[in-house]
Amino acid sequence: MKKHSILGHALAAIMLLSMQAGASAQQKGGDVVIGISQAPPSLDAQITSAQASRNVTLHVFETLYARDENAKPVPELAEGVTISPDGKTYVFPIRKGVKFHNGKELDANDVVASLERYRKIGASLALVSAIDSIKATGPHEVTITLKQVQATFLDNLSSPRAPLAIYPASEAAKEAGKIEIIGTGPYKFVEYKPDSHVKLARFDGYVPNPNGTGRDGFAGKKEAFLDTVTFRFMPEGGARTAALESGQIQFNETADGPTAKRLGSDPRFSIHKVVPFGLQVIKFNHAEAPGNDKNFRLAVQAALNMDDIMSIAYSDINQMDPSWLYPGAPFYSTAGAAKYNKADLAEAKALLAKSSYKGGKTTFIVDNLRANVDTATVLQERLKEIGITVDISIADWPTVSKIGFTPQGWTFWTHGFGIEPFEGPASVMAPWVNGLSQQAKDPVIDELAASLGSEMDEAKRKALFERFQTHMYDNAVAMKAGNYGVFQISTAKLKNFKPYRIPRMWGVWLER
Amino acid sequence: MASFMIRRIASAILVLALVSLMSFALIWLVPGDTAAAFLDASATPEQVAALRTALGLDKALPLQMAEWYGRVLSGDLGQSVLLNRSVAGALLERLPVTLSLATFALAIAIALGVPAGVAAAVFHNRWPDQLFMTTALLGLSVPDFWLGLVMVLVFAVSLGWLPSGGFTAFGTDPLGWLKTVILPAFTLGLVQVGFIARMARASMLETLNQDFVRTANAKGLSRAYIVLRHGLPNAMIPILTVIGIVAGALLGGAVIIEQVFSIPGIGRLIVGAIASRDFPVLQGGLLFLAVVYLLINLIVDLLYAVVDPRVRLS
Repeated sequence: MKKHSILGHALAAIMLLSMQAGASAQQKGGDVVIGISQAPPSLDAQITSAQASRNVTLHVFETLYARDENAKPVPELAEGVTISPDGKTYVFPIRKGVKFHNGKELDANDVVASLERYRKIGASLALVSAIDSIKATGPHEVTITLKQVQATFLDNLSSPRAPLAIYPASEAAKEAGKIEIIGTGPYKFVEYKPDSHVKLARFDGYVPNPNGTGRDGFAGKKEAFLDTVTFRFMPEGGARTAALESGQIQFNETADGPTAKRLGSDPRFSIHKVVPFGLQVIKFNHAEAPGNDKNFRLAVQAALNMDDIMSIAYSDINQMDPSWLYPGAPFYSTAGAAKYNKADLAEAKALLAKSSYKGGKTTFIVDNLRANVDTATVLQERLKEIGITVDISIADWPTVSKIGFTPQGWTFWTHGFGIEPFEGPASVMAPWVNGLSQQAKDPVIDELAASLGSEMDEAKRKALFERFQTHMYDNAVAMKAGNYGVFQISTAKLKNFKPYRIPRMWGVWLER
Repeated sequence: MASFMIRRIASAILVLALVSLMSFALIWLVPGDTAAAFLDASATPEQVAALRTALGLDKALPLQMAEWYGRVLSGDLGQSVLLNRSVAGALLERLPVTLSLATFALAIAIALGVPAGVAAAVFHNRWPDQLFMTTALLGLSVPDFWLGLVMVLVFAVSLGWLPSGGFTAFGTDPLGWLKTVILPAFTLGLVQVGFIARMARASMLETLNQDFVRTANAKGLSRAYIVLRHGLPNAMIPILTVIGIVAGALLGGAVIIEQVFSIPGIGRLIVGAIASRDFPVLQGGLLFLAVVYLLINLIVDLLYAVVDPRVRLS
């Protein structure tokens, strides 16, 4: 009897354990529909830097190097790299046995053709501007020679902004937007219905990176369990929420705070916070008065209460942080932080008195994204207290960006930097090089950016970035308000999801 | 009839020429350009300039117009900048979606609006009149996007009877099509019911007060016979006019409803084209809508003669 009881308990325990294991076990199958707010302008990954495209294309295509969880470049389709002592020649052994979705095996010619295509029509040509030549030096070996040393070259190769996706050579010969969507990634393309959806299916011939031990940023081990993933384009936030609640979609790419709070208490859903997703930047136009006056800019910087701006513009999901990079980034620094979020009206008034600003209107151009309008409105109210009059001019993004790309007609401009701080120091500095964003050249930034590009010593590069950040604060070149995030909501049945810059559908499965 | 058609076609060509000229002018007065819309904030001026050249935006406006008219006259609406395909192809792909939605909505608006208006006229100043007309006013006052969201909350989220959005083509799955189109069509149609009902009531009241109705009454004909056989056909001309206007409004209203219900129709195509300054799509889309409006007007004019033999099309 006793024996039976022990056996019974043991059996029950085993059953319970196996049930628990079963409940959390990875299982193949199931379809996930993701509601995304915008349609991808193109699925030709190389030619667009749109977030909506990245969401899809990074499931389909892979790159030679990709970013790990902390945005560090690690090998993906390459096995590694050998860099010549002069820093100009990179030899990449290409992984063998990797299959494209059309069954063809990846070789050096595909890599050469893809990178050559990017040099002609890639959306971020600056990423490949240092390349002198790309050659297949073996069936599975590619050698890239640079015109000059570029310390950020592996960062560039692995940038997810407009990815340097590797296509079959036959596709890489085609014009922009004319390719068949064929990659080496864990999901293959099924169909794209304009204004409706993109459907992907698991690629059972996927050959994962043998060095990957688990999910790791855009790199690592990419195990696909789901049968299909469909990205449905749903511009209305309310429609996405309704679709999630009624089971039409299983994942909402972005939801507002009140919705996340409401659904957070419902056991049918899981809330995922992606923080930081971007940093809110407020730009000055240095080409026109009063933005061309350093004391005016410093006065504005001293006056602003960034807490106020972020808590109104991105209520429920923001971070106060002085760095122009994200926490956890290898070059993260708080240099210049003493001038961040000072909210000191007395100091602001003193600085303003030293400036050439003697009243008159300034113009804040802003697109119609609610958070950006909020940022402008809070700034306008705050600056009123030190005697600066701000006119807010709201239009849609094409109109605002057209003005903001010129040196006239604006004093302030705000929007998010999402991918740049993720990409790293060079990308954060790039928008200020040659006066691109501030509309007047800044020799200090130009020199620091050039030095960062050619300096191979990591400690020295970090010091260069700290000097850049200090310079940004000391001169109020532009202001960082804070980091913002997005709420993503999924069905609670989607297991093992971890938020990242795109909703990664590898490493996740649906509980039945 | 033939001379009527010739005159209508000639005037349609003139209208289309004017519409396209105006759409060209309006579009080019809109600030912002495709290149700026396509690139992000860290694009270099060189990248913007290169894209502008590639898209032909740097050419003189008269040259761009001449090229556009040349293409349109040869039946080519041009290439979409962002969709990487022909404008005509993009429009034709979405046409069945919007047409099926608008037709369904129109059927609902007529099926509910005309009987409600006729009943209100027949029971003039009595409770059915007040009930129908108050409801009609309510319908007219409700914004369609709000009604759409309420419909989704009730029928998709709470009751789970219908999908909250998306679109299934009729050819793929007729039942699936009905399920996806029913909520947006009701949303679109219900707002127009009031419009049709009010016009049907006014027109019917006027008809019912005419001498021939009084004569029919005197002859002892039944009320229902008088209303349906004598009243309604005579009241139809103004009702048809309103239905024509409603049909046009439904195509326009579909722009918003397609956003709310994530339906891949012409409305979403045009909204997307505005946001991205995809001018060829916008111009082609406006021209296309103008053609549809003209066709609706023509059909309404032809129907006048069908419902009322006194109308001569010559």
